[in-house]
Amino acid sequence: MQTIWGWLPAIYLFLGGLGAGAFLAAATLEFTRKRYEIDICPITLVGAILPGPLVALGTVLLIFDLGAGLREPWRIFYMFTHFSSVMTWGIWILSVFIPLSLVYGFLEVMDSYPMVWERMGKRLTLLQRIPVRRIKRIVAAVGSVFAVGTALYTGILLSAVGPAIPFWSTSVLPFLPIPMMPLLFLVSAISTGIGLTVDLSGTLALPDMQERFRRLPLIHLALIGIEAVLLGLLLLTAFVEGGAAARAAQDIAMGPRSLVFWILIVLPGFAFPLAVHACALGLGRHPRLVHLGAGMGIVVAGLILRYVVLVSGIPVTL
Amino acid sequence: MKGKGCHPMEKTGLSRRRFLGLALAGGAAASVGAGFLERIGEPGTEEVRYSPYALVIDTTKCTGCRACIEACNLRNSLAEGQSYTDVLDRGDEHAPWFLPVQCQHCADPPCAAVCPTGATYKHESGVVLINEKLCVGCKYCMVACPYQARIFDEKRGVADKCWLCLEWVLKGDLPACVEACIPGARIFGRADDPDSEVGKLIASGRAKPLHPEFNTHPAVLSYIITEG
Repeated sequence: MQTIWGWLPAIYLFLGGLGAGAFLAAATLEFTRKRYEIDICPITLVGAILPGPLVALGTVLLIFDLGAGLREPWRIFYMFTHFSSVMTWGIWILSVFIPLSLVYGFLEVMDSYPMVWERMGKRLTLLQRIPVRRIKRIVAAVGSVFAVGTALYTGILLSAVGPAIPFWSTSVLPFLPIPMMPLLFLVSAISTGIGLTVDLSGTLALPDMQERFRRLPLIHLALIGIEAVLLGLLLLTAFVEGGAAARAAQDIAMGPRSLVFWILIVLPGFAFPLAVHACALGLGRHPRLVHLGAGMGIVVAGLILRYVVLVSGIPVTL
Repeated sequence: MKGKGCHPMEKTGLSRRRFLGLALAGGAAASVGAGFLERIGEPGTEEVRYSPYALVIDTTKCTGCRACIEACNLRNSLAEGQSYTDVLDRGDEHAPWFLPVQCQHCADPPCAAVCPTGATYKHESGVVLINEKLCVGCKYCMVACPYQARIFDEKRGVADKCWLCLEWVLKGDLPACVEACIPGARIFGRADDPDSEVGKLIASGRAKPLHPEFNTHPAVLSYIITEG
């Protein structure tokens, strides 16, 4: 078992991915113009407003996991300086992503609730001159790049550890030297992001969501399918590699803690949503409660996946 | 506010297909890029620097008494049970043997590469040191060390490890673990002196780096693992 990084880093990795994925979901609706089919789109609202605070919260939690950095917080500024470290890249990426997300959230609120701004009296004339949609589009575009960066870097943080923890640097395929973690974390981020914005917020706030997003079951099936393949490949390739990586994979899927994997990741994150959306494809609709359940399952599974990956990072045998 | 900033492209925007294609292409490029970029933090890509000091561990002589652990704990005033060196049990009940492991003072230390503040660094003596004032306690170095050589000082909230008792060594004395070793399994000296015991052991090839496949180029420690 890996005992150095535990729950707090797991939550941080999860919130980073969730925020990034939610941002990308909102940005997608913006770029495909689906956002403008209704005046107020709860999916883009949630996907624009939540990422900033979510990722910021993850970062704050992480600061509490620091040792001396918590007691002498000015040391955190040193973390911006050492570019050979993936952690330094991460702190730079987040320093751009968090403010951009907060701006995106603000702009999306402005665009959705113009009456709020109309009540702001004198300040209004300045606000009225802002081309909200144009700026929103630019922020969404730049933000999307950093969202992908955020999701990827959380995976690279682990895969860059190299020989010390073989499981984390497992490749996509045994003969392909591309690390799996960044890919898996990116797809998981998108999945949980859609889970939060579309499945949870969309279902709750849009009574006709399933009619509006007819392609949603297909998109979900594709994403879940891709993530399942990636997760399966991770475990298989780790098995093939042998050593500590194989032991990690074995621990996850078959060890004493494997119940966590099957019941808290595979079931809520893959099996149940897969069944729900496959039925939706066939039957055309399903009860909103079921859809909510699937969304919640995907989000929870994303958190548990991060934790299991961390805790299963068995160190190399000396 | 609505309708402002409208421009001919606005009504059509990006088609879903194009968006998906762009997204997939971007994702593929990003993943491959990630694979290349991560090598920046990986050992083996920086200039390799060696050390004048050498510590040879002769596992054929180590009895597993763990006096080195005790001595290290005392000299460095560490918390109870903590030590910069560790002695691992190896072999089986019929042929047990012991593997003392501590910081190898690698020429290409992965701990220094992953440290976000630059607190861990390679000193001119070849010893890998930690500048306590820069350490934030993120533990990335602890996770990244393939020799699992680092410990966490809960009181100061910083990472900590073997410093080769540099203060003593510079004065001509020995590291605590070497001094304490009764069976003589630890031999310390100058690697650049061909007449020293360590110099001869290394030159003859009897003393070798531990797990060279990690590619970190352990620069100070080397091991005798088999007889003869």
